[in-house]
Amino acid sequence: MTATLFKTVLRDQLRRPWLTLLMVLSVALGVAVVVSVDLANQSATRAFKLSTDAVVGKATHQILGGSRGIDEGVYRDLRVKRGNRFTAPIVEGYGSAKELGNQTMHVLGVDLFAEPPFRTYLTANTQVSLDAFAAFLTQPNTVLLSADTAARFGLKVGDQITLVTGTQERPVTLVGLLRSPNDISSRALEGLLLTDIATAQELFGMVGKLSRIDLIATPAEAQQIAATLPGNLRLAPASEQADTVTQLTAAFQLNLTAFSLLALAVGMFLIYNTTLFSVMQRRRVLGILRCIGVTGREIFAMILLEAALAGALGGAIGLGLGILLGRLTVGLVTQTINDLYFSVTVRGVDVDTLSLVKGMLLGIGAAASAAALPAYEAARVPAITVLQRSDLETRVRRWLPAATLGGIGAIVVGAALLGLVETSVAVSFAGIFIALLGVTMGVPALTVAFMRFATATLGRVGLVGRMAARTVTQALSRTSVAIAALMVAVSVVIGVTVMIASLRATVENWLSQTLVADVYITLPLQDPIAAAAMDPALAEKVRAVTGVSSVDLVHYSTAHSQEFGDVRLTAVTSVRNRLLKASNVNDAAARLQNGAVLVSEPFANRHRVQPGDRITLATDRGAQAFPVVGIYYDYSSDQGLVLMSLDTYRRYWDDQSISAIAAYTAPGANQNQIEDAIRVALGGACGGPSRPSATLSHPYPSERNERGSSRFAMSVGLPSAQVRNPGSEPGSGPGAGGDCAPVVVQSNKALRDSALVIFDRTFAITLALRLIAVVVAFIGVLGALMALQLERTRELGTLRATGMTLPQLWRLTLLESGLMGATAGLLSIPTGVLLSAVLIYVINLRSFGWTIFFEPAPEVYAQALAVSILAALLAAVYPMLRLGRLQVTDALREE
Amino acid sequence: MASNGPKEKFIRFENVTKQFQEGERQRIVLSQLSASIDAGEFVAMVGRSGSGKSTLLNLLAGLDQPTAGEIWIGDTRVSALNDRDRTLFRRDHIGFVFQFFILIPTLTVRENVLLTAELSGWSARDARAQAQRLLDAVGLLDRANVFPDKLSGGEQQRVAMARALCADPPVILADEPTGNLDADTGAQVLDLLTRLARERGKTLLLVTHSPDVAALADRTLRLDHGKLVPPSSPEFPQRNLEELRGTQGNLRLR
Repeated sequence: MTATLFKTVLRDQLRRPWLTLLMVLSVALGVAVVVSVDLANQSATRAFKLSTDAVVGKATHQILGGSRGIDEGVYRDLRVKRGNRFTAPIVEGYGSAKELGNQTMHVLGVDLFAEPPFRTYLTANTQVSLDAFAAFLTQPNTVLLSADTAARFGLKVGDQITLVTGTQERPVTLVGLLRSPNDISSRALEGLLLTDIATAQELFGMVGKLSRIDLIATPAEAQQIAATLPGNLRLAPASEQADTVTQLTAAFQLNLTAFSLLALAVGMFLIYNTTLFSVMQRRRVLGILRCIGVTGREIFAMILLEAALAGALGGAIGLGLGILLGRLTVGLVTQTINDLYFSVTVRGVDVDTLSLVKGMLLGIGAAASAAALPAYEAARVPAITVLQRSDLETRVRRWLPAATLGGIGAIVVGAALLGLVETSVAVSFAGIFIALLGVTMGVPALTVAFMRFATATLGRVGLVGRMAARTVTQALSRTSVAIAALMVAVSVVIGVTVMIASLRATVENWLSQTLVADVYITLPLQDPIAAAAMDPALAEKVRAVTGVSSVDLVHYSTAHSQEFGDVRLTAVTSVRNRLLKASNVNDAAARLQNGAVLVSEPFANRHRVQPGDRITLATDRGAQAFPVVGIYYDYSSDQGLVLMSLDTYRRYWDDQSISAIAAYTAPGANQNQIEDAIRVALGGACGGPSRPSATLSHPYPSERNERGSSRFAMSVGLPSAQVRNPGSEPGSGPGAGGDCAPVVVQSNKALRDSALVIFDRTFAITLALRLIAVVVAFIGVLGALMALQLERTRELGTLRATGMTLPQLWRLTLLESGLMGATAGLLSIPTGVLLSAVLIYVINLRSFGWTIFFEPAPEVYAQALAVSILAALLAAVYPMLRLGRLQVTDALREE
Repeated sequence: MASNGPKEKFIRFENVTKQFQEGERQRIVLSQLSASIDAGEFVAMVGRSGSGKSTLLNLLAGLDQPTAGEIWIGDTRVSALNDRDRTLFRRDHIGFVFQFFILIPTLTVRENVLLTAELSGWSARDARAQAQRLLDAVGLLDRANVFPDKLSGGEQQRVAMARALCADPPVILADEPTGNLDADTGAQVLDLLTRLARERGKTLLLVTHSPDVAALADRTLRLDHGKLVPPSSPEFPQRNLEELRGTQGNLRLR
């Protein structure tokens, strides 16, 4: 391309600032959404990885224990008797403190003398003073905290912090601050509370026990050590933990990314439309260029370059917007990850260069690929026909059958991808994109059909009505693209809204059927690592309260399976409120008593486990195979759960504790009074001996998050989600205080409401994405209408000159726009319904493994139609204002 | 490119036919045309609207391909080239002047002119110098840096002529270049075009409706219903060219 041709590219963009702006804006919005989601995902993942790396340190392996942790003797044996110097004992768990804004902190109990080869918190790099060292070593209940975290909460050395762990509420003293020489290691320390191992053992009720033993060992050494471990312990590579966490959120993050890409895809329609319009507008100029010797390839390159330039500019703006938006998104993503998966402290958006480069390339790529068709269109037309104005529209109509057939083909391919490939969520999303593309290819033909109908109907109203419908058909190359863009955006809104409404209805229904007890008694902080437990004697106290007719007990734990990794285990006294999938609940209850287990639907889907299979778990009695007798519906964990009777659990694990109590009241009893009576009965009660869980990688923690609300952890009908409702404040009950964290007593309704609050928060981010998709589509319709008007300036001038009044022209514009909106809205309903069905029956099932019952939402369809028409009518406002300024004489001169 | 065509006639077309599909039927626009134009010759092409003048011009320019027949320009059988080769051929060999003097609105007057030279591979310096000379020749050097929308119709057409000549093509094709101008401006533009073409030894084929303009040419080709009317035919316009010429060889249009 010559320098002069390049100048035409640049100046063309400057001469059509509105079109360029539309193009830039659509790329910017699309890129912003993609980048913000990517940054949020990356930030959360990196923050977790940093803290995991900080906690794991240089360890190559970890010894992980059975249900009750590792006996200290194992460590002593390893280090002293066998001389393995590179070993370090760890006791860890989660805790929170008001002084730290109720943020969940990772409490790590270490042995200072064993630490140096493993972790660098206490080296010269972190600049911990000698005084702090001395205090840390000699005084009980002392902690170290990162200087950044301390500064954030206005804490200084010597301050007291009231630390709440699963069963304890204990004051500890901040004796030193960990300062990191650089930002990365500083962020690794974020959310970490370092304490002496003995203090940690007391905090988590693990005196004489360890959570794990870290090792630095060659594979051969590791093999040797593994061979000598007691039966209930295992040696695992240190990387296992980080891998498990990555897998946990993979589906969630992929879903978010796919939705963000959809916003960019909608933006691409707009770019296509804008480019096509710019080609149409410059058809004669392009014709001249072809006549004076510019080749088709050069024209193609010119138009592609134009789009790429707009894409680059939009991309750059999108990156900035994305970083800003990322600050909001990272909060939402972190919130969801904290609600559903694991605890992570993300201080801010990590502006990752790779994310920015990806965003920029996506922007340029999206713009260039969206412009490719119009560019090809301009390039392949023989020079002679470039000079003929209506050629494109003629050919668009000629291509209608082929485009429609192609569309049907794309739908079939998309459906095949959705149906044939069973496991990959990414491929399923590709299927959705291809099928959506297929539907959009059918839009021109459907638009023609709609307009035929509209001509017949509106023709009765008058000439303006007929003209409006015909204009939409005559400018099909642009109107159909605007309609397709709006249709895709609105159908995505319908699809996602119906999917979320269905999931919400399903969860609500599930909650109402499984949360059947009247009062729930849970721990203030469910610890994913040092899973706290309450004294079983509390159950008797609850049972003794007047008005309580019966109680169910629940116990949460994690057990290791060679086949499935760490398995979340729920042990219950009753399965009466479980919703079983295709099995009889009474049969299942009977068989559970005999040692069988149920698996949750996500577990069954994820691990392809069927009734009749057996699950082998490491127990305190060695490996034990449990027959699976049924699958039950559960929406609390997408990782899946294994349910067994509490008796069975106690038979194989040396653990008598419980995690929660569900109390049933007698018919007609006063709920509030009973609730209060239970509080009084349990006054100040806290857990009994707590019990360490098997490994760090507990897939489903349910502790209070940093905003003080609860997690969506409602496993098997006895949720551990806690919202502190008035009167259930830990510490507020009689007898509260000291070293004891009181249990939380709350009503069925409070628990159910809190679960739904978390549900709604989880989907807040999709609401933002839906809105952006509609905004982009709105801009698309506006662009198409403006393009139509600019191109028809002469025609409009003629109409004015021949006596059409301004209000008549306004009516014409409104009608054209309204027809486009109505067509998009009508087409979006069946597309949206199909999309929601695919999201429900394919994407959700494959991503999270749960069945959602389709909930038809007629009000959503009506709203969608209204939104489409309204968006289109609003988009007509600016073109109408332009009409008011139209100078008839100038318009007639327009060439 | 084909390279063994006739040498004596610079432009030659033999049995050229062009048909267009119109719905179910074929419409013959040009039928079995054969003629030739010498190098440096100025030929006017006249005929009623729809007689096929512009179609023939488009075929000669390689903008379109004949349904049958051959077109030679110099040693090149233009009718045998594909679209891309025709474009590249046009770039170096044909200068085009249109009725609507369409210039590229985003380029200045100078850039519009030098674009063709740049496309033909001239160096930026040479292209600029050539544009400078031609703008001087058409009297628009002082407007070199303005954009086309600031120019009058006559000025725009003069820029279009400079553009057509800038890459120094041997052939200039002009499709009613004065059709959109008033008589005086038209006369000036035509005078300039013919003078520049003759000075530079260009072969000029000019489509016109005006017998007066045709009278200025060395020779006239008349098209009627897609066929060439022989010069001996009584329908062929006979005009005394001499009476149209002024005393100093300048044009006088009636």
